[in-house]
Amino acid sequence: MDRKRRTNLLWNQQQKIAPYLFIAPFYLLFIIFMGYPLISSLVMSLYEMRGFQSRIFVGFGNFTDLFRDPIFWKSLKNTAYFAIGTLTLQLPIALLLAILLNSKFVKGKNFLRLAFFAPVLVAGVFVAIIFNLVYDQRAGLVNQEFILFGKEIGWLNEENYVMPAVILTGVWQWAGFNMIYFLAGLQGIRQELYEAAAVDGANWWQAFIHVTLPSLRPVIAFVVVVSMIGSLQLFDLPFILTNGGEPADAGSTIVMYLYKNGFQFMRLGYAATIGWVLFFIIAIISIVQLKLLGIFRDE
Amino acid sequence: MFRLPIDAESFPLGKGPMVMLILFLISTLFIFGRSEEQGEDIEFWIFANTHYEEYQARVPIFEAQNPGVNVQLINFGGTMHDKLLTAMLSNFGAPDLVEVEITSIGRFLKGAINEVGFVDLRPRLESEGWMDKLVVSRFTPWAYRGRIYGIPHDLHPVVLLYRDDLFKAAGVEMTEIETWDDFIAAGKKATRDLDGDGKIDQYAIVLDRRTESDYFSLLLQQGGGFFDEDGNVIIDSELAIETLEFFTALFNEHKIATPVYGTWHGDPSNFAAMQDGKILSILAPDWYVGILKSQVPQMSGKWKAIGMPAWHPDGRRTTTRGGTMIGITKQCENPDRAWELLKFTYFDRSGLVNRYETTRIIPPLKAAWNAPIFKEPDVYLGGQPLGELFIQLAPDLPPRYQNPYWSEAADLLNDAIFAAVTEKQTPREALTDLAEKVRNLMAKDMDRWGEM
Repeated sequence: MDRKRRTNLLWNQQQKIAPYLFIAPFYLLFIIFMGYPLISSLVMSLYEMRGFQSRIFVGFGNFTDLFRDPIFWKSLKNTAYFAIGTLTLQLPIALLLAILLNSKFVKGKNFLRLAFFAPVLVAGVFVAIIFNLVYDQRAGLVNQEFILFGKEIGWLNEENYVMPAVILTGVWQWAGFNMIYFLAGLQGIRQELYEAAAVDGANWWQAFIHVTLPSLRPVIAFVVVVSMIGSLQLFDLPFILTNGGEPADAGSTIVMYLYKNGFQFMRLGYAATIGWVLFFIIAIISIVQLKLLGIFRDE
Repeated sequence: MFRLPIDAESFPLGKGPMVMLILFLISTLFIFGRSEEQGEDIEFWIFANTHYEEYQARVPIFEAQNPGVNVQLINFGGTMHDKLLTAMLSNFGAPDLVEVEITSIGRFLKGAINEVGFVDLRPRLESEGWMDKLVVSRFTPWAYRGRIYGIPHDLHPVVLLYRDDLFKAAGVEMTEIETWDDFIAAGKKATRDLDGDGKIDQYAIVLDRRTESDYFSLLLQQGGGFFDEDGNVIIDSELAIETLEFFTALFNEHKIATPVYGTWHGDPSNFAAMQDGKILSILAPDWYVGILKSQVPQMSGKWKAIGMPAWHPDGRRTTTRGGTMIGITKQCENPDRAWELLKFTYFDRSGLVNRYETTRIIPPLKAAWNAPIFKEPDVYLGGQPLGELFIQLAPDLPPRYQNPYWSEAADLLNDAIFAAVTEKQTPREALTDLAEKVRNLMAKDMDRWGEM
């Protein structure tokens, strides 16, 4: 009797434990590779390190230093500049491409889709190297056009042109990728809606404003939020394109400044602080965007 | 027919997991089951391709001379310094021997003296009598607080490389140039609008205003620097301010300098401008001549070189730019063996002569300088024996004192130079502000830690 009962008990226990064991690997990995580093970086932001062993508690000292640091503000401004450029230039271009590729009049859609999508398959480092040649002051593709008007622009050499050059490179690299999302969204809009709009006498523009855009809202919200997060985390493109953010930090971004502090200046506490400030900036902007785009609204 | 004891269908959850399990077992066997190679391993990290190729060719000789020693050369390229930093920070995984670049070493020297992750090589250098055999000023970038953490790979003396044909066409004989005043006078003749369209077509010199490279070279040439030997900030000294005034005047007052095309002197844009004849001269360390030869071979025969113009008659005709060291990390288990490999790669005369053949880098070991190769005519310079010029200048190299704050300081110095050249600040304002920022940074740490 005892044996039978014990087996039953074990079986019951096992039934209770088994699901947790099945999901355990994910949580273990998450705790080791995400949870622990996150908490440890939060703790680190309250300390300052010097050398490989010494550290000292500074409380919110790193945060107050950061808000008084002009290079941080300049990096934040540059990052915001890029994010706004992405929002106002890259995403409209992506939407326009998607609409063109979704229309009946364009031929060779498959080829064009692949062509526009292809840049995203190229690693950021290579994109930066390619565009270094494109923006070449003497022989670059861009200046070959501008020289005709008598102006040889140092795209990567003059403060005011650095961020526009980075934004244009971002458009080349990412517009095709976002186009795919928009295209999927466009293909999901029911044809009947357009037919009903046509019956009501709507022209192409009215149909776009009142049918296409509202139907694309979830896709737009997703693309905007994801692009914004990507923009705020910008690093490799300007780092290589401008050779570390010069001249005069005109190409410096928040993540670049974080990298410099952590790895070049060995100020790991300060770098962790920049990381957490960036996290809060991204969180706030994303929530505001999702609210504005009505994602939290009950349909 | 042979059958597995379990078949795919009866394996729990089917075929997929079984394949994964088999792959897992095979890879585990591969990783842990490798028979340990007999003998001792020396791990050696490198970041420069040319160095890696050189050591790849020479390490088998060392291994043959030292039976039982296996040298593992690992070339991490540009990311090596970050990997080394992580390894030292976690106190695990650092190599035995490593090469470090001159602008990167500062960050490894932060913290208390005992926290530095490199072995002090001064006792070995002194007891074996190496100090006198090398150029002593070249230890300064790798030394701090009395300890020497690395052996210099190079000297990197700087010369003035110039277009003899174009200067001659402007009526200037460059070999007669002795001082910077002479150069400015010559530069004014050679900086010209050739086609009369109101735009300058050729500039006497190209200088980098984005980064510290050229300005700092000029400052070092006069014995100045950012930090002095004791670690004090001296970038707002009269010498530093006057040098920056001179540097900005070359652009704005004398108008004989053009900013570097592209992002640095090795940018394709800059090479294109050279080929167009827009640039007549450049301050060139030995390694830069190597880059020119490989990147712009079509300009062979067009360049000549002289020592840099001096700041006053009989003044120093060179400076130094760039550099690499080799060091032994504290994680190395057998520093004696690592020291042997270090000596083999850095102090072997025949190896150093080979190095010059491929990279044009002049070695710090004086005994290597009398090799015939350094006197050979250089085709790229129209037959001028460039090695001889470099060696003639080498004993006069200025010191370049290292400091743990160099990375922060250099980053801010870049901004100060750009602000001065673009006339957003006067050189005095730019350097005074800069010095204050770096001093504040150091003072803050001083408050926190009680020592530098």
